[in-house]
Amino acid sequence: MNNFLLKRLGQTLLSIWGVITVVFIILQLSGDPTLLMVPEGATNEDIDSLRQQLGFDRPMIVQYGDYLIKMTRLDMGTSFIQNIPVIDIIAPRIFYTLYLAFSALLVAFGIGLPVGIYIGVFRNTPLSRILMGLVLIGQSMPTFWSGILLIMLFAVKWGFMPSSGAEDALSIVLPAITLGALSMATIARITRTSIIEELGKEYVRASKARGLSHSAVIRLHVMRNASIPLITIGALELSNLLAGAVIVETVFAWPGLGLLAVQSIEARDFPVVQVLVLLGSIVYIGLNLLADILYSVVDPRIKLHGGKR
Amino acid sequence: MLKKLLLTIYILAAALVGGGITAATASSDMLVVDLVNEPSTLDPHRQWNPDSYFVYRNIYDNLVTRDTAGKIVPQIATSWKAIDDTNIEFKIRTDVKFHDGSPLTAQDVVFSIKRITNPDFASPQLGQFNSIIDAVATAPDTIVITTGKPYPPLLAQLVKLSIVSKAYVEKVGDEELNLSPMGSGPYKFVAWQKGIKVELEANADYWRGQPPFAEVQFRAVKDAATRIADLRTGKADLIVSLNSDNAAELSSASDLSILSAPTERVAYLMMNTQFGPLTDVRVRQAVAYALDRQLIIDALLGGYSQIIDALLTPAHFGYVEGIKAYPYDPEKARELLAEAGYPDGVTVELVTAPVFDQRIVQAIQQQLSKVGINVEISMGDMSTFLERRRADPERFGDMVFGRWSCACQDADGVLYAMFNSDSVWSKYANPELDAHLEAGRSAMDPAVRLQHYKLALDIIADQVPSIALYQAAAIYGARKGLVWTPTANESLFLMDMSWQ
Repeated sequence: MNNFLLKRLGQTLLSIWGVITVVFIILQLSGDPTLLMVPEGATNEDIDSLRQQLGFDRPMIVQYGDYLIKMTRLDMGTSFIQNIPVIDIIAPRIFYTLYLAFSALLVAFGIGLPVGIYIGVFRNTPLSRILMGLVLIGQSMPTFWSGILLIMLFAVKWGFMPSSGAEDALSIVLPAITLGALSMATIARITRTSIIEELGKEYVRASKARGLSHSAVIRLHVMRNASIPLITIGALELSNLLAGAVIVETVFAWPGLGLLAVQSIEARDFPVVQVLVLLGSIVYIGLNLLADILYSVVDPRIKLHGGKR
Repeated sequence: MLKKLLLTIYILAAALVGGGITAATASSDMLVVDLVNEPSTLDPHRQWNPDSYFVYRNIYDNLVTRDTAGKIVPQIATSWKAIDDTNIEFKIRTDVKFHDGSPLTAQDVVFSIKRITNPDFASPQLGQFNSIIDAVATAPDTIVITTGKPYPPLLAQLVKLSIVSKAYVEKVGDEELNLSPMGSGPYKFVAWQKGIKVELEANADYWRGQPPFAEVQFRAVKDAATRIADLRTGKADLIVSLNSDNAAELSSASDLSILSAPTERVAYLMMNTQFGPLTDVRVRQAVAYALDRQLIIDALLGGYSQIIDALLTPAHFGYVEGIKAYPYDPEKARELLAEAGYPDGVTVELVTAPVFDQRIVQAIQQQLSKVGINVEISMGDMSTFLERRRADPERFGDMVFGRWSCACQDADGVLYAMFNSDSVWSKYANPELDAHLEAGRSAMDPAVRLQHYKLALDIIADQVPSIALYQAAAIYGARKGLVWTPTANESLFLMDMSWQ
């Protein structure tokens, strides 16, 4: 177990270094931020002087080294658009994105799981086809469209939901539904497959032979075994939802990291973008690791020695 | 157990977000404004972008300002007179107090000028103020500003200079000033909920009188459709940055109104006179004749923008009537093309960026193709666009579609940068034009300047290094009953607003 964790930790650090480097290179290639900061008509001298102040006149390798050293010291730098430390810009927003992503996950599981169980147990009935069709429609709607649609209906037309922002307790509802709809169908389908697979196994027949009712078998045994793939999917979907939050936050003016990412990329606020991408990749890598560990908690037969699943 | 715990955490989280803060209900005491982004900074000497200055210009006063008609009028300064071509003396008010109760003095004005012009401070606005080489307080109510050489647009630039408190900045430092600004303006800073909103409250002791709203909130709402929904649901009273389609959508609502003003932003087609087929003036003139600008404005811009024949608008100093215009004449365009040696048409590259209205770009492409000018559109992001906009003629492309604003409403900020041969933004060289532009930026007599700019505009109209398409409009949506006349310089002064 320790070996496995050490190995995974090593891989994790390597991945993070890779991410830092790739992000750095892409941002450097994507253009000069000083051009966006100066007013139109600025002379070359104005631009050069600003560039020098911000350190962009240094060779790329020097800037890269400087950045790596700062990162190892957990010094995330100062935003050169907002002129305050990056950590102060990002920290207050983490909560909002997590709150949104978990609420969306709750919506996704809240709808996807019952639907998946139903269509798994009652295969090929008309109702199960209709249900699957509905969740598929939910997943197929682009969020920038479905979000506006929900705002138009629930806020503008019927007036019982706030149209934007995060000031009300109800503000979370529409963004969570919009984002959660993205994962509903995936969860429903995985649940269905998993339940069908378990239902065909020997122990189901054995349990029935012991005299357990069909529903008791499903409740006590099938569901527990079927939940293993759902844990991985849950973790992976959570990272998908964090990525999807970029658009949903923009539509709903939800003050999370996604909205910040859009603003910072538009303004070429390098220090902020770098930390945001890094944070995103750490979360993604971390969630995968977590899923691996959770397997063994749910199913003690799966030991953490890597490779075998 | 675990489930219960999770549920409790969840409810707590929900309460934390929602708790205490109730929905912003519209009342005459409160104004809620939906901006696009949150301010990048509230330090008035850092970023100059609308989302930032919409907010901080209400917290601070300026040395001079523009009235709603666009005339430069006193604010902190009561009067000014030129001592000579490079020294100008300002008398300032002595009855103005900062929000902390301390008086605003000549020292604060001097400090503000020195702060924004200090190269180490690295203000992105430096280029607009670095003609100033010194500022001195010669008496408690007098300051003298010295420019390196005669600089007639100085007053137009000083309109944008907010006065900060020397004592406060020195006490709290630059970062704190950014996070909790303190000025002498009509509104006091209350709180900045990052990513959500900035709250201001009225400064009851304001020297120009009682501000119109007791409380003002500036929210950050990126998506225009969401801003419109906010206005419709009453969450916002005023929303910024709409396009003509948004305006059309809102016009049916009887409880809302659309406010708009022509700005000093000019949409232009800049042509590369130094490389490629557009080096021939006949081809450039053909482009001018081939464009039906009125059709573009009527069909795509909902009539909100106006045709303009020069790169200057009536809001600029230096604007003159009667500049030669190119009417829509596709026949003439074809003739000129044939004369220039392109009877079978020519292919040109048009460089633009997504922030500029792409429907216009496509309309230009279509209109030009009708006379045989085949336009290939090169779209890059803003940073790439700005890089190519400033690049050498070989890399510039044949044409650029963009919008120009110097935020100074002075011909110098437009024409010198765009057409003077040694400016990186120019792809045109003409010694005669250079002479007029140089004279226009050094003569202190407005009449002399106007004369030079008239001649400069004639040359530009004749040689067509650039075509002015239209004067862009700023469109806002508001709750009926909000009285406000937007201005050409796209400022959002709360003191100019009121509830009916």
